[in-house]
Amino acid sequence: MIEFHFLYIDPGSGSYLVQVIVAAALGVAFFFRNIKTYIRSIFTRSPKKKNDNPQA
Amino acid sequence: MAIHVIHHPSSYRDPSGFIFEKEGTVYRQVNISFKEHFDHFIQSGCYKHLVQKRWLVPHEVINENLTGDSNYYLTLQPEKISLISYPSEWSFDMLKDAALLTLQLVKESLQFDMILKDATPFNIQWHDGKFIFIDTLSFEKYTETPWIAYRQFCESFLGPLLIMHYNKQHLQQLQLAWPDGIPIDIISSLLPKKAKWSLHVYLHIHLHNKMSLKKQGEQSNSQRLPRKKLLNLISSLEILVNKLKAPVKKSTWSEYYDEASQRKDYLSQKKKIIQGWIAEIPNSNSIVDLGANEGEFSKLFAEKNIPVAAADFDPYCINNLYNTIKAGNEKNIQPLIIDLANPTPATGVNNKERESFLKRIKPDVTLALALIHHLAIGKNIPFEKIAEMFSSISKYLIIEFVPKEDEKVKLMLARKNDIYYLYDQYNFELAFSPYFNIQKQEVVGESNRTLYLMKRKN
Repeated sequence: MIEFHFLYIDPGSGSYLVQVIVAAALGVAFFFRNIKTYIRSIFTRSPKKKNDNPQA
Repeated sequence: MAIHVIHHPSSYRDPSGFIFEKEGTVYRQVNISFKEHFDHFIQSGCYKHLVQKRWLVPHEVINENLTGDSNYYLTLQPEKISLISYPSEWSFDMLKDAALLTLQLVKESLQFDMILKDATPFNIQWHDGKFIFIDTLSFEKYTETPWIAYRQFCESFLGPLLIMHYNKQHLQQLQLAWPDGIPIDIISSLLPKKAKWSLHVYLHIHLHNKMSLKKQGEQSNSQRLPRKKLLNLISSLEILVNKLKAPVKKSTWSEYYDEASQRKDYLSQKKKIIQGWIAEIPNSNSIVDLGANEGEFSKLFAEKNIPVAAADFDPYCINNLYNTIKAGNEKNIQPLIIDLANPTPATGVNNKERESFLKRIKPDVTLALALIHHLAIGKNIPFEKIAEMFSSISKYLIIEFVPKEDEKVKLMLARKNDIYYLYDQYNFELAFSPYFNIQKQEVVGESNRTLYLMKRKN
């Protein structure tokens, strides 16, 4: 069977400016999402901790 | 004196190093220009961490300049990858997991002040039952700049996944058409309007496209992107990719075994015969199962620790097989979407960059079970051409002949004119005789199908 490995493909333009704008928009979106999650956590009970080990 | 070593045809883009082969072994040279990044990658513990997680292919350092190249810094010998595959041969969930692995690598390497400098599916390969990243020279020092491979990720991973998710179709062929990623404007135009209602799709595709259309002068490479914001960007891509679902339409053949198993003794007899034959074939260390469906027969050999490439033209079957492999931690089956009437061609620069499927696959034994009627009647391929193809793949062939009287063939002929007057067992054997010697043949149980064990003529 073949054993060659393929590698690097030139990523070209990294779309730098759009990342800065997208990241700024996400910062706002995640800020409000965190507030929503926090408020929701006040009004809802935290679920009981599940046992992570199904074998136990 | 410089030693003449040939670079692998796909290894020409990255100035950090290259892949070469010497005496049958594959090596990777690290060039002196990449010394700073590579030393940091090793000394920071990033390499060790990623290898321990089984996300990156391990290598051994060879303290010898095997190329005689003046740019030499180090020679690495990576662990062998048995069969290279391409993204157009992967099912939806395979591409999705390859995308998630790429994002995980970005997040983990950031902990060591490193980042991935490219994001192409070709850097991910199947190894020991899962995807693994193979390009050790893709990690460079992080300098708080935006992610250079962001656009490449959107075009190579996110775009194809989104198009398949929203159109509810398996469209692997798109990746064959655009191996360097589907251009962002084409992704944007192929998505339905409702996709814009997703904030993540809007930002990564539609806004991305609008901004790409602006003049190049407005793009600046001096932009900064703090780590927290970069992590938000990666989280957003992860959230989006995790939400995407494989098309679920059932195909004609996805319940093949449910139906086939209802036939008395058919499957159990077939398994018994094939297992017996494989045990008698000397050096049967690798198998390709062509027309594997959901891998019923591939599993027989995988259980015995024989690596099997399970190929089928049906993306639904291969996606189901992949999920079974993933759930069961099966290490010996490699799922592939391959249409034997149009196997993956050689592509790229000089048509040498990426080899065709038939050149890449070099098993000891080929299984072609309940496949001949799909090729000869379903695709109108003459027996002679099918025999020629199989003879190019492996020394041993286990093939099943399905006669015209078989219910499956009757079903196929009910939908088309019967122009297949040469389709019978005599002509089948006659067409295979220039290429193979028939070593064994046996009728399967009470069915009218015949199994053959053939050995290629020298």
